[in-house]
Formats: sequence, structure tokens, C-alpha cells
Amino acid sequence: MEYIIETKRLSKSFGKERAVNSINMRIRQGEIYGFLGPNGAGKTTTIRMLLGLMKASSGSIQIFGKDITKNKLEILRDIGSLVENPSYYPHLTAYENLEVIRKVINVPKERIDEVLDIVRLTDVKRKKVKGFSLGMKQRLGIAAALLHQPKLLILDEPTNGLDPAGIIEIRELIKSLPSRYGMTVLISSHLLSEIDQMATSVGVVSKGELVFQDSIGQMRQIAKAKIIIQCSDAMQASQLLKGIEIPLEVEEDSIHLLEPTNECVANVVSTLVHKGHQVYRVQEVKRSLEEIFLQMTEKGQRR
Amino acid sequence: MITQLLSAEWLKIKRKGLWFLALLGPVGVVALQMVNYGVRKDYLLSQSDDDWSYYLSNVAGFTPLALVLGLVILTSFMASIENETNAWKQWIALPISKMSVYVSKFVIVAILLFVSSCILAILTLLYGKTLGLGENIPWLQLLSNSFYPYLACLALVGLHLWFAVIIPNQGVTISIGIMGVIICMMSYYLPDWVIWKWPTLINDWNNPLINVVIGVGTAIILLVIGMWDFNRRDVA
Repeated sequence: MEYIIETKRLSKSFGKERAVNSINMRIRQGEIYGFLGPNGAGKTTTIRMLLGLMKASSGSIQIFGKDITKNKLEILRDIGSLVENPSYYPHLTAYENLEVIRKVINVPKERIDEVLDIVRLTDVKRKKVKGFSLGMKQRLGIAAALLHQPKLLILDEPTNGLDPAGIIEIRELIKSLPSRYGMTVLISSHLLSEIDQMATSVGVVSKGELVFQDSIGQMRQIAKAKIIIQCSDAMQASQLLKGIEIPLEVEEDSIHLLEPTNECVANVVSTLVHKGHQVYRVQEVKRSLEEIFLQMTEKGQRR
Repeated sequence: MITQLLSAEWLKIKRKGLWFLALLGPVGVVALQMVNYGVRKDYLLSQSDDDWSYYLSNVAGFTPLALVLGLVILTSFMASIENETNAWKQWIALPISKMSVYVSKFVIVAILLFVSSCILAILTLLYGKTLGLGENIPWLQLLSNSFYPYLACLALVGLHLWFAVIIPNQGVTISIGIMGVIICMMSYYLPDWVIWKWPTLINDWNNPLINVVIGVGTAIILLVIGMWDFNRRDVA
């Protein structure tokens, strides 16, 4: 079994609208897979199909090497999930909420206290969830997902609506899961910075299509730095550089080298200096992941 | 699996006043007779030679209405407890079959109504005794008056649980239920096939057992249909 999750041409249509289009998702054991895309891109629909909440219109899903349509319950036994907003029974206490779930998944009672401790809700376990803050409800949702010590954790926008402190707390918790419990985590978000800080690999979805899927390192690689050269009369300078045949952009007072190798930069600078241009500044600028994300999703939208 | 599910469902309805509701129904039905007999006992006793039987038939007049109203509220409740924070998605993503989830909801409602029917039988007996209707208690009629409507209304439990689960707006399901109660009140004038008529035990053959058999049979069919449909649907 090479992949924990492997989907093949997974699609879902609602009437004429195609919410998920031919997604081939691959998640390896021990990864924190960031599932990234703007709202309405198809993340939640994909996750619902992975959890067997929705049936795929076409394509297949293999989890732990088994087909979900044939082995749904067996697969779900090893998955913990939190889909979108946390679900809970407001009139029950935190402890009772977990007890409801515990009753059907056959784990010892002590496990409830363990997970409450992990998400730091032990102090309020006898309080009704009705009065909890959103962050506490979200943490309770994560506790519920961890209750049966799943091998795979699927979290859909787990930091939605949390304050910065809550986000950091959840992030640290999620990051620790693969090493502490050997879990594989699939986490969706519409925030790139979020995924950048947690994930080890990334899938980017836009308009129902997976437009990128690779390691987070690969994703950062795409965000190659560019060199900005500020000089006197950038327009004229750029004319000079046409002879060297390197990809560049020209702005009012600067030239942007898009694929700057060392030789290329050296070449450009020496050319400019020899032709009498004044070079004020040569600086490296990293493209933010936001820019790359936008570029990818735009590509997806143009298709 | 199903016993674990039932135990979880019992915990879910904690503090929701469902047991109180199960008690309220039979208390209400007998309380109406307390008013009835309290106001005009002498007149009522003069209406028949068999005072017990007459009393029991008076109680039975309101039993179907209370049952239908009760089952509408209970089934709707069983769905809305999940709808409230869309807990369906969490519940269904657990390693439990959707069909058994549906069955567990049905069983909870059936048990609550059964308890109501037991309480009804006890209260009917106790109040009847205080009325001094004689020593000859018609046990069979007492039990059939208390439990036949229950069995006949199980078909409606199947129907309403299905409505409650597939219609997200519980206002709609409750409205359908209220309509059912009204239909039930007019059932004397309706044909035998009308499902809301069954708990009244009225039929052309004058044999209440027919309603019981049809009620239970249809309950099984509607339960299976509801289960199949629930299993087929995507969880939003």
C-alpha cells in the first residue's frame, strides 16, 4: 500500500454543476496533506466523498488500499474527522458528547479523559457545550475525531473562526500528530499561510480540479526568487538586454529577472555597467505563496 | 451494533424532556376523563349498564389523537437533534451503518410510545377504580384499548420518521403531523385505507385487530423504505 488515500478521476456533480472534476489525490503515510483552495472550490465535497457521506458520481476512492464503496465501515473505523463547522449536542456536556460517540466505537472510557486532555478541555468537561466558545467547540470536535485513535485524520477547515491564539494552538496540535501517534493528516484550508505552516505536502484545488499536487518544498520551489535590478533608465536598459535572451519584465525604474541564475545576473549587471548605466540596487525578492496560489487557481479557472 | 446505537441515542435525548412528553400524553388523556367524569359523572353512569366498558371507550376516544400528536413530535425531535448543529455528518462518518442509525431512531420512538401506552393502561385503571365502576374490570378491553392504538400507529411512526429525516425544515413535518391529527379526528367519515385512521381502530369489519395487523405490517414496510432512502441520500 503506497498511499493512505488514493483517488482516481474522482468526480461529483450536483445536477449540471460539476463540483469535483476528475481529482487524482494521493496521500502517503505520515504526511500532513494540505488541501488548499478558495471557498467553493470543491474541498468539502471531496472530503465528504472520502468519508462516505456522499457518493461519488464517478471515479474511485481507495483508503488504506481498500475501496470505499465496498469497505466503508472498515475504513471509517480508522478515520477521525471534523467536517466544516463542529457538530455537537448543545444540551449535553463535553464529556457526554464524547460519551455518545464512545458508545458506538468501542473504546474504553479513559480514552475520553485522554482526548479531553489533549485538546485541553478537561476543566470544562462537565459543562454544557451550549455555552462553549467557537474555539472550544472546535477543539471538542477534534477531540471527537481523535477518540478512537484513528490512523487517518481528516480535518476540514479546522481553524475556521478561531482567534489567532486558537489557530496557533490547533496548528501545533495538528503538527504533533504524525510524530506522536503515527497519524496521517488531511487538512483543508482556504488560507495558504495556514497550510504553509503545517503541511508536508500540498494539493491545490480550484473549480473542482486539482491544479497542483506535490511536496510543500516543491511548492516553495515554484516560488523561485526573482532579481530586481534598479538602474537609470530601465526602459533603455531593457532594450540592451534583449541580446542576452533571458526572461524579464520591465517596470518604471527597475528590471525584473524572472529565472535568475548566477551567470545570468552577472551577465546582466556587467552588460549594464559596460554600457554606462548606473546600477543602484540588485535585490532578490521571493514571490509569496499567495502569488503562486493565485497564479495556479487562475490557470485552473481559465481551463 | 444496534444496542450500542440505542444506548447512544438514549444519552442524546437526555435533558430534552422526552420522557416528560411520554408521561404527559397518557396523563392528558386520562385527565380529560377526570374532567368529563368530574363534571357529569351521574349522567355518564346512566348512559350504560356496563360502566367500565363505557368509561374505557370514553378514554379510547382521545388515545389516538394523543398518540398521533406524540409520534409527530417525537419523530421530528429525533431528526432535529441531529439537524441542530448538523451532527448527521459527524454521526454518519463513524463506523456505523446508516441503516442501523435509522432503525435506532425508530426504535427509540417506538419504545417511548410503548412506555406511554403502559402508563396509559395504569392510569386508566387507577382512575377507573377511584370512580367506583364496579369490581368486574374488563382487563382485555383495558389492555386492547391501551396497546392496539399503539401498534396500529407504528405505521405512522415509520412515515413520520421518514418525513422528519428527509425534510430539513421541521416546521413542514410538524404541519403535516397536525394535519394528520385533524384527519385522525374526522376518521369516522374516512375510508379505511387512510393511514391516520388506523390508530382509532375503526374499520368496516368492526374488528380492531385488522388495524393492528395492517399497522404493524405497514410499519415494517415504511421502515424498510425509509431506511433504504436514508442510506441512498448524501449527507449534506
